[in-house]
Amino acid sequence: MRQAKTHCLLAALLLPVFMLCGFIRPIDARTSEQGKKTFQGTIVAVGDSLTAGYGVAEKDNYPSQLQKRLLAKGLDYEVINSGVSGETSSGTLSRINWVLSLKPDIIILEIGANDGLRGIDPNLTRENILKIIALLQKKKIITVFAGMRMVSNLGLRYTHAFHRIYLDVAKDTGVIFMPFFLEGVATNPALNTSDGIHPNRKGYKIIVDNLLPYVLKAIDLREKTSE
Amino acid sequence: MLHLRFIFRELILSAKQASIFVLCVALSLATMVALNTFRKNVSHSILGDARSLLGADIRIHSHYPISRGIDKMVSDLENHHDIEATKTYELYSVIRPLSGMRTLFCRLKVVGPRYPLYGKVELRSGRPLSQVLSPGKILVEPEVLGRLGVKIGDRVHIGEATLTIADVITHEPDHPVNIFSLGPGIIISAADLKRLQLITKGSRVEYSILIKVGRNDAAINKLADRLKQVSQPAQERITTYKTSNSGMKRFFDNLFFFLSLISIFTLFLAGIGMQSSLSALLREKQKTLAIIKSMGADSGFLFRQYFALVLCLGAIGSMAGVAAGLILQHFLPKVFQGLLPQGLTLTVSVFDIVEGLAIGLLVVVFFTFLPLYDLRNIRPVAIFRHDRTGTGRGILFYPVLAGGFLLLTVLVVRQLQDLKIGLYFMIGTTALIVVISLLTRVLLAAIARLQVASLGMRQAMKSLFRPGNATRSIIVTLTSALSVLLTIFLIQTNLSATYIESYPPDAPNLFFLDIQPDQKTAFANEIGGKVELFPVIRARLVAINDRPVKQQTSRRRGDSLTREFNLTYRETLLSDEAIQEGKTLFTKDASGKTPLQVSILDTVAEMGDMHVNDILKFNIQGVPMKARVSSIRTRTKSRLYPFFYFVFPTEYLQHAPQTFFAALHIHKKAIASLESRIATAFPNISFINMADTAAELGRLTQKLITIVNFFAGFSILAGALIMVGSIFATRLARVREAVYYKVLGGGTRFVLAVFIYEHLLLSLLSSILAVVLAQAGSWGLCRYLFDISYSPHLVVSCTLVLITSILVIAVGIVSSIGIIRQKPAAILREQNGE
Repeated sequence: MRQAKTHCLLAALLLPVFMLCGFIRPIDARTSEQGKKTFQGTIVAVGDSLTAGYGVAEKDNYPSQLQKRLLAKGLDYEVINSGVSGETSSGTLSRINWVLSLKPDIIILEIGANDGLRGIDPNLTRENILKIIALLQKKKIITVFAGMRMVSNLGLRYTHAFHRIYLDVAKDTGVIFMPFFLEGVATNPALNTSDGIHPNRKGYKIIVDNLLPYVLKAIDLREKTSE
Repeated sequence: MLHLRFIFRELILSAKQASIFVLCVALSLATMVALNTFRKNVSHSILGDARSLLGADIRIHSHYPISRGIDKMVSDLENHHDIEATKTYELYSVIRPLSGMRTLFCRLKVVGPRYPLYGKVELRSGRPLSQVLSPGKILVEPEVLGRLGVKIGDRVHIGEATLTIADVITHEPDHPVNIFSLGPGIIISAADLKRLQLITKGSRVEYSILIKVGRNDAAINKLADRLKQVSQPAQERITTYKTSNSGMKRFFDNLFFFLSLISIFTLFLAGIGMQSSLSALLREKQKTLAIIKSMGADSGFLFRQYFALVLCLGAIGSMAGVAAGLILQHFLPKVFQGLLPQGLTLTVSVFDIVEGLAIGLLVVVFFTFLPLYDLRNIRPVAIFRHDRTGTGRGILFYPVLAGGFLLLTVLVVRQLQDLKIGLYFMIGTTALIVVISLLTRVLLAAIARLQVASLGMRQAMKSLFRPGNATRSIIVTLTSALSVLLTIFLIQTNLSATYIESYPPDAPNLFFLDIQPDQKTAFANEIGGKVELFPVIRARLVAINDRPVKQQTSRRRGDSLTREFNLTYRETLLSDEAIQEGKTLFTKDASGKTPLQVSILDTVAEMGDMHVNDILKFNIQGVPMKARVSSIRTRTKSRLYPFFYFVFPTEYLQHAPQTFFAALHIHKKAIASLESRIATAFPNISFINMADTAAELGRLTQKLITIVNFFAGFSILAGALIMVGSIFATRLARVREAVYYKVLGGGTRFVLAVFIYEHLLLSLLSSILAVVLAQAGSWGLCRYLFDISYSPHLVVSCTLVLITSILVIAVGIVSSIGIIRQKPAAILREQNGE
């Protein structure tokens, strides 16, 4: 509570300064539901079961682990898990407005795996993702976009077309792009659950290790643009 | 020691009683033998289905290549010809015709040379798989032809290979009925595996080794254990055909247990019938036996003679029963032709026959001991006086009773194959008989005190208490028989309702997933008519009454509370739902609005120990929501209909991110073309084709209905005959009274009236008592043993009371009609000449 008061005081003091400078953007004091912690920003992890953390405990999924790492680094960002197991890109597009009601500053978008696993036409997946990112960019939300590869049993032609989705989208939209979400984790039995597809706790730790630099980049960008 | 002429004469003189006795023995054995051998054969065949479903006795599967340890063990065993084994690989892939832009997402099954180990893959051409499937050739499900626009003989691209369509699959035995398929199936020979180049690092493949042991369960389980020891437990799953489908297994266990119960019940019934007919026989002969005793024969002599008689009758009955059972079993497949599995082989071992005979004799001995032991109470003075024979229990009484009880328990436990349940059953049945005896005593005492105006009725009631009456024994027998019959019926119908009728023929067989909100109307139009769309909102349950939902403590009923759930919204119950707790689905507040609340399903309520008015906290993709539980619903129908754990009122979730799914029943032949149309118009929609699953389940359940009905019916028939026999056995005393009434001036009509009243009293007492006990027993068994819901079927119960009364009266009158109508003098002369 004392922190909130200090923040408010600061805001009250700095506001006229900023307004004088023509910047009318106070730093929002963000409280979580019970008003226990205030955050300086919100990151929403949007995705499928790899985001939702299918097969692992709540505290071991990647958004939870990412949260801990950010706090440890002194970055008071709230990481909200908005993953839906089994979701395809069409589903994400349908629900993106609901996600925006959380007022995210940064969104980590990890989607498309289920499109591939169901053999959906890669062109449709690409269109959906482009629409999602266009919407996010319109709202000035900084996007970290995670690339995906498809299981090789679908055949070279399909898997090639699938991977191109992500490369093309990254190039066309200029988002912060992590080439492969499961880098170093996929196909390794020790890092995945018994279904061979979903990472376990150790797997998600490595994913967060790989993801962190991109998230930091996004935070950096956000801090810069909000100044 | 044995006076054969005496025994022989006794046999001839009391032929009627003797034949009833033999009939009881025969009936009980016939049921048991038929049931046991049939059950073994049916079990073999139904479990054979289970083998077909699994495709093996043992199946090893993993999402990673099978580990070296298992691989080596399997090849070693194969080399020693101990087992037959084959490998399969299941994966999804996209296939393309040689020309054109179409592609199809398919389920590929790459199979080794000896596939299938069990069951048969049926092809359109009718040829066996081994003839058709060879390198370069594939077998496809009909959908593939329709969706890709290809035909038999065309070639398609699969992975890096080009393969020819050789035939069409019409039935695949080991496509597990509870696995959803996201695309039509294709069978490919393992010789083509390398050419496909689809199984590399980074592939999602289900690797399996199917093993056929071809020996008994013990050998299978032993091998499964050995395999588990060298397996990678985190990755590899080893299942046997018995453990693989636990839902089905549970059903079969219940079924066979129920059938065993029936056979035991029938045996007990017959035993009671035996005892009562023997008692009646000996009672008839009281005077004769008293005379023999007065001539110097001691109790031991009489006991030996009659014991020999009983054994002789028992032996005849046993042999007749066993023979009848075997013959009956032989006719069963013919009677149920087409409904029973093809090629049901009926094997009878010598062991079964000997076992049947031995059981028969044992049962006879136990149930006839009491009447025989009572022989020593007949005193010579009974020639002169109609003394009520003493009912003193001798030294031998309790030990023999205990010994017999023990023997019977062993028999029961063996039949039910479960020690605990066997003991409970024995205790329960004994308690039943004791309770019936006590209640009968109470009821009879009450009747004795009743004042009734009608003379006929009064005489009828008094005659129930005539000296040397067998009223209590008749009522106990009748009640036991009726309560058992009704219990069988009630349990059978409740089992049916839960397991068998749960798969109606019009159950949905095609599911569409991931329909987006803006596609609803277009989708419905494409289907061509009204289709019900269920909204699905993915969310997690976070807390119950502020208690966080934790992973470890929340696994129950094979499900977990920490997984993502599908929430939905609507205003009414589904057609197969009913409210179990709470008055209505949702409650309105004082101002007539519907506040935020949620209706939950009883299964999830049980998992989380949730009740009406609990507060549940959900996390809907990051957005929290708290709702009060307004009601608990239960499902009254099949598991094939869609169901939802959590239902909200429309206004709170209609703007939440959602997809829709549709459940339809479509004729199997129309499915492929419908899927094509939908796939073209809405590439994001997935479908799950359950047509084959539904058909398979329908077939199985039909089979089982027949079997259960047959055995229940047979037992009911046997029980009815025993009941008739015991009425018949005790008619003599009544006949004598009829004569005296006539002598005293009563007309035929009066005598008939007394008869009818007496039988009516007997039957009403017995049947009402039986209904009460049967309802209590069935409820207990369904609730605690079978763990299924219970419905009392009161109409049937009342019908039973009615039918029993009619039957008892009819039998009583028919068996005595000749005597009633005769002139009294003739009877008296006959009787004195005895």
